[in-house]
Amino acid sequence: MITNIKIPFRDRSQKNSHNKCRQIRSWLTKALSKSFNVDAEWVQRHVMNCPRCQRRLAGIGKVELALSMAKSQSHQLDLLMRANTQAIGVLKHSLRKMPKAEKLRTAAPEPKLSERCCKYNRPVTNVAACIAILFLMKVGIFSSANAFQSHGQKALRQYYVSHVGEELTNDIFTT
Amino acid sequence: MFTESVGYELWGEVAGLSAMEASQKWILSAMQRHGPELVRMLWRILGSEQDVCDAYQSTFLQLAHYEGRQKPKHVKAYLFRTASNTAISMLRHRAAEKRTLSKATNKAEATGPWMNEIDCKFLAETLRHYVAQLPEHLRNVITLRDLAELSYAEVGRILGISPATARVYRCKAVQLLAVWMNK
Repeated sequence: MITNIKIPFRDRSQKNSHNKCRQIRSWLTKALSKSFNVDAEWVQRHVMNCPRCQRRLAGIGKVELALSMAKSQSHQLDLLMRANTQAIGVLKHSLRKMPKAEKLRTAAPEPKLSERCCKYNRPVTNVAACIAILFLMKVGIFSSANAFQSHGQKALRQYYVSHVGEELTNDIFTT
Repeated sequence: MFTESVGYELWGEVAGLSAMEASQKWILSAMQRHGPELVRMLWRILGSEQDVCDAYQSTFLQLAHYEGRQKPKHVKAYLFRTASNTAISMLRHRAAEKRTLSKATNKAEATGPWMNEIDCKFLAETLRHYVAQLPEHLRNVITLRDLAELSYAEVGRILGISPATARVYRCKAVQLLAVWMNK
């Protein structure tokens, strides 16, 4: 029974230590990437005078470029449809006849949710900016109205004090 | 009595088969779920639409016949690894065919497709050629991470390694490819 109670505590402490480890790792990575980044000044200074490093960096750049080229090459839109049709063609007869299979035969590639939302980025940002401006304006207007009111009251009180006297003014303003 | 028992057995077999067929619906679900990602990865590895269709078909055929038509424990991992292996073996086959063809026409490879110019197709083809030559562990990481665009965590899960190891392998693969591509 006691052990049953203790286990969650142990788990929690383990979890905490794992979280700490993760945090430390991320700090270390950040610190290391700052000083050992390719764009770091001391690296750039070295690369300028080292042909071997220049060659290596050029090679890595070439690989990255080739990878992005391979990614950017486009295929025909119906490729998924054709691939599905061909693959379904070798499956069992019962599977081929299923409505899901029919749906797959006419499936078209859909962009990811993040890609689909990409076009809404600018309007959403604009709306957010408008809301922020409205909020700031509203806050500004009300605060300045309050300040104006309090200043007016002070001036009026001062006028009454000078003309009627302090006691009467206090009576007027407290009621 | 004997015919009756045989009949029952047959009926049992048929029932078992139909149950198995019904249970193989997951293949279609897997196709629906991972199909677009698989096609994208295969296209980036192979760069030929017909080859993509062939590799895709072969992958799902292997999935349908996996260990007595059973569902693998990790369908996504199985699919991606099978597809990538199939595509790489197709690439190698293609390269071998090219080599024999170039030998037959007495053309040196250096003056053929590997000209030293920046051309989109040429660069992508060169990369494919060298990716196929990478050691398996490095090749798997580069195909899953860069061509299938999976996260390091997913790559690690598929290959049974930690994300940090996947990062290291990717780095090594890029270095090796850089040396080969700079030759």
